Amino acid sequence: MGKLNLDEIQPGMVLAADVLDRNGRVLLKNGLEISATYLMILKQWGITDADIQGLSREEVNAKAVESLDKELLAKTEAEFQEVFLHADRQHSFDQELFRLSVIRAVHKKMGVSARDN
Amino acid sequence: MITSPNDLLKGYVEVSSLPAVFARINEAVNNPRSSMNDIEKIISEDAGLTARLLMVVNSAFFNFPQRVESIPKAISIVGTQQLRDLALAISVIRLFKGIPPDLVNIEQFWKHSIGVGIAARTLAAFRRETNVERFFVAGILHDTGRLVMYMKIPDLSREALLRSRKNNELLYVAEAEQLGFDHASVGRVLMQAWKLPFYQEEIVAFHHKPNLATRFPVEAAIVHLADILAHSMGLGSSGERYVPPLNQEAWERLALPVSVLVPTFEQIDRQFEDAVKTIL
Repeated sequence: MGKLNLDEIQPGMVLAADVLDRNGRVLLKNGLEISATYLMILKQWGITDADIQGLSREEVNAKAVESLDKELLAKTEAEFQEVFLHADRQHSFDQELFRLSVIRAVHKKMGVSARDN
Repeated sequence: MITSPNDLLKGYVEVSSLPAVFARINEAVNNPRSSMNDIEKIISEDAGLTARLLMVVNSAFFNFPQRVESIPKAISIVGTQQLRDLALAISVIRLFKGIPPDLVNIEQFWKHSIGVGIAARTLAAFRRETNVERFFVAGILHDTGRLVMYMKIPDLSREALLRSRKNNELLYVAEAEQLGFDHASVGRVLMQAWKLPFYQEEIVAFHHKPNLATRFPVEAAIVHLADILAHSMGLGSSGERYVPPLNQEAWERLALPVSVLVPTFEQIDRQFEDAVKTIL
């Protein structure tokens, strides 16, 4: 199981843990199959992630960069290593911030170069 | 000889007080006996401010289904406090003139500040904080101490910049080493001179060390986190080239999941360009 961001969760996936609201109340039960309606409800409740069966965080992260230009990704990662010099790369927050920032920057670069061509 | 942040404001009349129009709006908002009509009148006397406010209210920032054509309409939809806060953000940006361009690109500086403001407002909304517009203002205010330094002590500020480049140091660390104080403590004095609410003073003073805030550690932590996000997303530039380090205590205090980053990124990207266009 892995904790997925809400935008990575798709209908048909199965919960590996209860989804709780911020007061600890159960919104959706462990084992439930996610539907489009449930996704909308989670979003409206301000829920931003859920544990999903049969998927690891590593697999999902790898999938997120699958379609990206490998060379551009490596170059962008190197640039961000520099900017993140003073960050704590062991911390889960910094790791996710780094990952998202790199992906966003690569998308921007690809978008710009596609328009230039 | 500059020995304290207080010295920097002495004789700097252009910024040592807020524009009269803001003081009057603020007074009217805080006075329970003043009516919406009074507030509307004060704002409408400043045509530039009126135009900007309406642009902001009609931007992606609020995303209202209908156009807001007048200040009375804006007051009834946005609320007096929130409109006051937006007026403050707009007034502050118009206040700083003649910053040496080799020290900071002022447009990039305000872009960074707007980015922090949007990020802070978004994070505050996730935490169900009240009056999220004050967090946008906090973003606009958080680095203004640096502008005072660039105006009043350009040479010392330049040395701090060079020092941070040479040693790969965080700029606020280099400032403290060079001067004995950093832009956050200069900003604190500025907030005091402007007689802004104490939470703004604490946010500005402690945006790099939110765990030291005495009464508003949550507010300071939100802007601390927002500053990190704006740097990481490369929104504008305050002169600092590094993503500031996360204060562990602040992170725990906010009790936000890491997964809040995705929707926060989305929200910032949705609002940033429009906010820059309408406010700058």
